Parts: sequence; C-alpha cells; structure tokens
Amino acid sequence: MESTNPQEQSKRSEWLSFLIICVFLFPILSVVFVGGYGFIVWMLQLIYGPPGHSI
Amino acid sequence: MLSKLKALWRTMTRPAKHISLGVLTLGGFLAGVIFWGGFNTALEASNTEEFCIGCHEMRDNVYVELQQTVHWSNHSGVRATCPDCHVPHNWTDKIARKMQASKELWGTIFGTIDTREKFLAKRLELATHEWDRLSANGSLECKNCHEYASMDWDAMSEVARTQMEQAAERDQSCIDCHKGIAHELPESMAAASGALAGLQRQATSRFNPGQQYFSIRQLPLFTDSALSQEAGILNSGSVITVVAQQGDALQVEIDGWRKTKGFGRVINEEFGQNIREVTLEKEVATDDSMIQGFEVQEDPLTGLPWQRVSFQLWMGKDDLVDDREILWQEASELYVKNCSTCHSQPEEAHFDTNTWPGMWAGMLSFVNLDGDTQELVLKYLQKHSSDYSDGHH
Ligand code: HEC
Ligand code: HEC
Ligand code: HEC
Ligand code: HEC
Ligand code: HEC
Repeated sequence: MESTNPQEQSKRSEWLSFLIICVFLFPILSVVFVGGYGFIVWMLQLIYGPPGHSI
Repeated sequence: MLSKLKALWRTMTRPAKHISLGVLTLGGFLAGVIFWGGFNTALEASNTEEFCIGCHEMRDNVYVELQQTVHWSNHSGVRATCPDCHVPHNWTDKIARKMQASKELWGTIFGTIDTREKFLAKRLELATHEWDRLSANGSLECKNCHEYASMDWDAMSEVARTQMEQAAERDQSCIDCHKGIAHELPESMAAASGALAGLQRQATSRFNPGQQYFSIRQLPLFTDSALSQEAGILNSGSVITVVAQQGDALQVEIDGWRKTKGFGRVINEEFGQNIREVTLEKEVATDDSMIQGFEVQEDPLTGLPWQRVSFQLWMGKDDLVDDREILWQEASELYVKNCSTCHSQPEEAHFDTNTWPGMWAGMLSFVNLDGDTQELVLKYLQKHSSDYSDGHH
C-alpha cells in the first residue's frame, strides 16, 4: 500500500506508534521497572540480610 | 533506518492529529488491563510446583525427597508445595525472590548442581541460605499454615508439648528445631533425635531424700503429687534436691534467684547470672504461699534487684542423673561436633555467662539440635564461661 497522501501517511504512522507503545514499549518498560525494583531489593538483602531482621 | 526511528519518535512525542483522545485512552486502558492480567498469570505460573520441577536439578533431588515426608501426604490431605515454603507471600519480597532466581538460571546453564554428586556437595551451602532466610523472618512461611496459637498442646506427646510450649512463648523460629522437615539434611549434620538418648540410659532410678539430682532434658513440674496441675518447666541440666517420694512422683526443692520485675516467672540458678533453671506458670510465680522469698540484692551491672527464692514442687522420676559431670561431658561433645562444621568452635570461656545466650540464639538456625539439647548445651557453655574459668577475668 504505497499511499501518497500525506494525510493518510501521518495517520498510519500515528496508529503504528500507538500500537508499538501499547504492545511493546510500555509492557517491556513495566517489566524492566518491576524487575529492577526486585533486583535492587535483592541487592539490599545481600547487604542488610534477609527480610525480617528486626529482632 | 535511523530516519524511520526519528520519524516514529516525532509521532510519539506530538499530540495525535487523527486519533481521538477517547480512542487513545480506551486503547491504553485495555492494554493495561491485558498486561496486568498477563503479568499476574505469569507470576502465578512461576509459583507452581510444576514450574519448579521443570528443572531436573529440583525434580531429581529435593522433589523426590519431599515425597517421603508428612508434607506430601498426611491425615488432613493438605499438600505443601515448593512455593508454600520457599517463596515469600509479600509482594516486594516475592519479586525480589523471582529476581534472585536468575542465580538458579545461571546455575542451570553452568551446571552447578547438574549431578547428584554436585548437588550433595553443595547442599550444605544451599540449605544454609534457606535457614538464614527462615531464621530472619521467624519461619514466616511455616506460620502461614501452622500457628502456635492454634496448637492443641494436650494432643501432643510430652516431649513435643514441653519443647513447643516453650518455643511458642518466645515465638521461636520453627526451623531452629525442625530442620530437614521436607528434604534430607546435609551429610555433615548430626542427627538431632536421640542426641540425649545416651544420657537417658544413664538416668538414676534410686533417689535419696536430701540429695541433689540434675535434669537431662526439660521436664514439667507440678503443684500436686498426682502430677496433674502443671506449675512450670525445669530446664535441661538444672539442679533439684529431693525432699520426698510418693509412688512415681518426687517432691523436690529448688533454690534460685529471680528479678523482682514483672511476674518473676524465670528462676535463675545464681545471682546476677541469666542461667535459666525454671520457668514458672504465672499463677505459681505470683503465689506467695508457694514461693518463699529471701534477701534482695541489686545487680551492679543492670541496676535490677534480684531476690533469692526457694520453693517445693512435684515431678516425675524420669530423666534425672546424680552426677552433673555426666551431662557436661555429653554437652561438650555435642558442642564440638555441631559447632565446628563451619568455623572452629569458640572456647567456652571466650564469652561471659550473660553473653552466651545471644551468641547461641544467633547460631541455632545453623545446627540441627532439638530444644532439650539446645538448652543443655547452652547451660554447659554458660557454666563454663569466662565467669567460671580460672584463666580469664
Ligand atoms: C531453571 C531451572 C530451575 C527452576 C525452574 C527452579 N530452580 Fe531452584 N535451583 C536451580 C539451580 C540450578 C539451583 C542451584 C543454584 C546455585 O548453584 O546457587 C537452585 C537452587 C534452589 C534453592 C536453594 C536456594 C539458594 O539460595 O541457594 C531453592 C530453595 C530452590 N532452588 C527452590 C526453587 C523453587 C521453590 C522453585 C520454583 C518456584 C525453583 N527452585 C525453580 C534450578 C531451578
Ligand atoms: C501448605 C501448608 C504448610 C506449610 C507451608 C508448612 N506445613 Fe508443616 N504441615 C502441614 C500439614 C497439613 C501437616 C500435617 C498435619 C497432619 O498431621 O495432618 C504438617 C505437619 C508438620 C509437622 C509434623 C510432622 C510430623 O511428623 O507429624 C511439622 C513438624 C511441620 N509440619 C513443620 C513445618 C515447618 C518447619 C514448616 C516451614 C518450613 C512447615 N511445616 C510448613 C502444612 C504445612
Ligand atoms: C524448641 C524447639 C522447637 C521449636 C522452635 C518448634 N518445635 Fe515443633 N516440635 C518440637 C519437638 C521436640 C517436637 C516433637 C518431635 C517428635 O516427637 O519427633 C515437635 C513437634 C511438632 C509437631 C508435631 C506435633 C505432634 O502432634 O506430634 C508439629 C506440627 C510442629 N512441631 C510444628 C512446629 C511449628 C510449625 C513450629 C514453628 C511455628 C515449631 N514446631 C517450632 C520442637 C520445636
Ligand atoms: C514444608 C516446607 C518445604 C517444602 C514443601 C519444600 N521445601 Fe525445600 N526446603 C525447606 C527447608 C526448611 C529447607 C532448608 C534445608 C532443610 O532444613 O532441609 C529447604 C531446602 C531446599 C533446597 C536447598 C537444598 C537442601 O536440600 O537443603 C532446595 C533446592 C529446595 N528446598 C527446593 C525445594 C523444591 C524444589 C520443593 C518442591 C518440590 C521444595 N523445596 C519443597 C522446606 C520446604
Ligand atoms: C552453617 C555454618 C555454621 C555453623 C554450623 C555454626 N556457625 Fe557460628 N558462624 C557462622 C557464620 C557464617 C558466622 C559469621 C556471620 C555471623 O555472625 O552471622 C558465625 C559466627 C559465629 C560467632 C561470632 C558471632 C559474633 O557476633 O561475634 C559465634 C560466637 C559463633 N558463630 C558460634 C557458633 C556456635 C556456638 C555454633 C554451634 C551452635 C556455631 N557457631 C555453628 C556459621 C556457622
């Protein structure tokens, strides 16, 4: 589909960006953030000992 | 390629011209719902036993061993699965544990435990990680299913009741006493059960009034000669003096010191030293007709007043010896055997009497000793601490 209409062209790229963000970018970022958070907590546990060291 | 990415970026960072705000929001909302569902499904799927035993390292070793235990099949039909005991329920700790599993992935790729021999060689190290974790959280995962408050002491054997009731009072971590509950123990670990059986064979059967005897393990004390009204627990390795005998019961006198703070339930062997001899029930400890009080002295280190007390109670005739040296000899062997696995055991006289309990409690999660043995060895260490040895102080 070689659309020559610049209107059509920019509409297409808008939908494409939207899909990329929803399907790939944000899900991947979410997993990275959650994973990174888990990783940081794990590293803190290595330094300060396993959770529950209140006694 | 680069220009395409640039164009994409431009589109992403500008307001949409063709798609309405409503459609964008709806799309984002739906994607969020689907993502959250998928994320939790994946998290849950990785929290099943099937997932864990997907790796042969887990399946061939620990999983097979679990099948021999009470957590695999029991009267109640409740099955404990791997994640029940190994994966924290709290969200943050669960995510951290999932990340920690990258170490397991690494281990699988590089075959750290891909044969039975390698697994057995590494078992002490792996088990120590789990003990450390359970010790820090007070065996939280066990307590998700088991609760001290819901235990029916009367339904338990005397040994279980005596030890568990004491443990419940201190909210002690289950793993201090119940190692190897789900898998075999590392080879270097001495068996806990039966550690004191040798001593029990040397127990005295003849008792003379006026003579001193020493407890092998923690023993219940009673207010009556029928041994029906429980008054407290005599600690392992403690001294009693026989006053009289009646059938299967002994009337005994116990002398000691207690802090005059609170109910005074804990009776210690000597002034100023936290060497536990008896833990009394509250009603008995506060009953002046039962407990005879004498002089009060202030402990110069803590400023707390201590009072000398004496009282008479009843107990059974089992598990007493007439020579304390027999107990110390066994305790000393147990100490060396259990505490030299990871580092050479500290000299008994390296710490003073009141420092030992803290040191001891910190190491309990690493050794496989039952409660009676823990108390006996602790008492041995306290009675041979720097306060009692000639070389120190
Ligand atoms: C990818 C294969 C694999 C899977 C899946 C797996 N494990 Fe493991 N696990 C291993 C390996 C390999 C090791 C040894 C790691 C090492 O050498 O440090 C290990 C070690 C352990 C340890 C010792 C912990 C430590 O800190 O040293 C525990 C506990 C454990 N696994 C429990 C589980 C549980 C529970 C699951 C399911 C949620 C699970 N494993 C899933 C491969 C796996
Ligand atoms: C999923 C719930 C669950 C978890 C988690 C759990 N248990 Fe159990 N446990 C049980 C059930 C069910 C029984 C069997 C009760 C019966 O006899 O019917 C049992 C039995 C026991 C027994 C009695 C053993 C015997 O031979 O009679 C001990 C001791 C025990 N558990 C300790 C532990 C410890 C220590 C942990 C933590 C590492 C733990 N449990 C974690 C459910 C659980
Ligand atoms: C001070 C040591 C100690 C601690 C701490 C301890 N137990 Fe026990 N427990 C024992 C002993 C000893 C027995 C009796 C074992 C036997 O008969 O083989 C026992 C028995 C049991 C039994 C079986 C009871 C029966 O009917 O025979 C269960 C279940 C149990 N413990 C669960 C737990 C749980 C759960 C925790 C932690 C919340 C815990 N224990 C903490 C020493 C301890
Ligand atoms: C009833 C609780 C319980 C269940 C169920 C359980 N474990 Fe364990 N696991 C423990 C405890 C406690 C330890 C610490 C070592 C010990 O005391 O035996 C341990 C230790 C381990 C270790 C370290 C090596 C070792 O043997 O000490 C691995 C690996 C492991 N468990 C994996 C698993 C897997 C996989 C499953 C499921 C098939 C599972 N566990 C089920 C309580 C449990
Ligand atoms: C499984 C390995 C292991 C076993 C078994 C073990 N320890 Fe330790 N011990 C350690 C480690 C690791 C440290 C240092 C880290 C720490 O303090 O937790 C340590 C430190 C100590 C310390 C110094 C603590 C301090 O704060 O100065 C004392 C005292 C000690 N252990 C006594 C004992 C006694 C008593 C036993 C027998 C009940 C014992 N250990 C059994 C691993 C072990």
